Amino acid sequence: MPPTVSIQNVSKVFNPGETNQVLALKEINLDILPGEFVSIIGPSGCGKSTLLRLIGDLIPPSSGAVLVNGKPAPQARLDQDYGMVFQAATLYEWRTVSKNVQLPLELQSVPKAERESRAREMLALVELSGFENHHPWQLSGGMQQRVAIARALVMRPQLLLMDEPFGALDEMTRERMNQELHTIWEQTNKTAVFITHSIAEAVFLSTRVVVMSVRPGRITQVIDIDLPRHRDVDTRETTRYFELVNLVREALRRAEAGL
Amino acid sequence: MSETLTLPAPIITEKQGRFSRWWHGRSRFARQTISLIVILLLLAFAWEGLKFIGGDPWRPANNPFGIEHNPPFRFKIASDLNLPHLWKIFEAFGRESRRNGPPLIQVLAGAAVFTFREAFLGFAIGGLLGFSLGAIFAHSRVLERGFMPYVVASQTVPILAIAPMVIIWLKAGWLSVAIIAAYLTFFPVTINTLRGLRSVEGTAVELMHSYAASTWTMMWKLRFPAALPLIFTALKISATASVVGAIIGELPSGIRDGLGGAILNFNSYYISGPERLWATILITAFVGIFFYLLVSLVEYLILRNRRRPE
Repeated sequence: MPPTVSIQNVSKVFNPGETNQVLALKEINLDILPGEFVSIIGPSGCGKSTLLRLIGDLIPPSSGAVLVNGKPAPQARLDQDYGMVFQAATLYEWRTVSKNVQLPLELQSVPKAERESRAREMLALVELSGFENHHPWQLSGGMQQRVAIARALVMRPQLLLMDEPFGALDEMTRERMNQELHTIWEQTNKTAVFITHSIAEAVFLSTRVVVMSVRPGRITQVIDIDLPRHRDVDTRETTRYFELVNLVREALRRAEAGL
Repeated sequence: MSETLTLPAPIITEKQGRFSRWWHGRSRFARQTISLIVILLLLAFAWEGLKFIGGDPWRPANNPFGIEHNPPFRFKIASDLNLPHLWKIFEAFGRESRRNGPPLIQVLAGAAVFTFREAFLGFAIGGLLGFSLGAIFAHSRVLERGFMPYVVASQTVPILAIAPMVIIWLKAGWLSVAIIAAYLTFFPVTINTLRGLRSVEGTAVELMHSYAASTWTMMWKLRFPAALPLIFTALKISATASVVGAIIGELPSGIRDGLGGAILNFNSYYISGPERLWATILITAFVGIFFYLLVSLVEYLILRNRRRPE
């Protein structure tokens, strides 16, 4: 099977040639297969958000190539091959919940009736039925982030790119959102790239965890998460889960020590 | 899954007095109306109070209370010529403005409508011009750097110097007055449009990029709606400025039908009837307030869904 995302020897330099030049990413190689859930974890400033933006073609690489669904990343962006979720829900406050979810469809000139029914369907998936006509500020942080996920899914992309989507949520809400995201991933067979700071979250959600180090940002270790595909509250209490959490923690520690 | 939102009840503690409890029991509209009236009464009280302490003598025939009173001081500012009694001003509305003419209120109402139409046209032209400049500058730093100095300079040139030229170019009339009003109104709209269109958060823009949105789509689906609150702030400033602009524009145009003409006219007869100029000033202020409220109403209708509960 060809990889959904293929990152080939990618480096990224910010402000090249200037005094504040920064090597943000150095020679990154990573293939992500269809159906995988890959979390990227690392200390602040290791370039994990930059890596995600390279996949989404929101910024260009300085060298190397990024392929999405076998196409160059810019083409994949034009083809709407991925849905993106940011740390801030980034909902437009002048739009209702439903209208926010419809936004990507609107930009593709999908007819109104279909837009509405697909938005309803997606809101049902994230358990927000009945909130269609609410405005973003009437929802809690967790609910806003669920709307953002519904918006990312509404184009039915094969690939989901998520940049610390639950970073601003409290621990309890975060665990509930993890469960919901896991369920959606399990049901829809999407490929996901997930940036996070949280070891527990990374292990719970992923099939693979990519550990990065800082200055320059590079991949130091890739850990396979060999937990069963289906995960729920009990998963967090299994011995294997704890072992994997410790494994990732040690990998992170080594990455931070620059080993 | 039901997270509903309830607004917190007003906090009422034992310490609060009876007035405070009564006050907070009123609706917001009632509170606003009451404070409006109270402040108006206080201003009227201060006005007449000053005249009571230091104005010209009060004669029984000349005041509605029929009192004879000799103020202890004589302040120049509080004389009947400089600061006519409020009832004199209101009386003047009902009296004919010139011999055998219609009552002053009718003349002023006609003038107010006339000036408002000029101001509205100027506001529309200025608003559109201001928005266009702001939108162009928001998309091109080169044009912004090149033209902004002239836009700023245009506002430092007194309108009184510009107005006669506009009249020479366009001939005295409706349009020239509207252009002069527009000249006074476009600037705040340009500045706030530019600021508003550029104020959009980074991720909101990235989201649009992820949809491969064009600059045009980005403008109308994201930047423009995001800028609206700031644009309305500017439009409220412009609404009042356009009334001033229209009045100033009428003066060198020789247009006598508007409030500018009325101000000029009653200014020259000030000695024989100061209350007529004051009445005109009241009406002028009213036109400005009316226009401001009109824009505020449109703003409310468009932005009401954005309000976050306090």
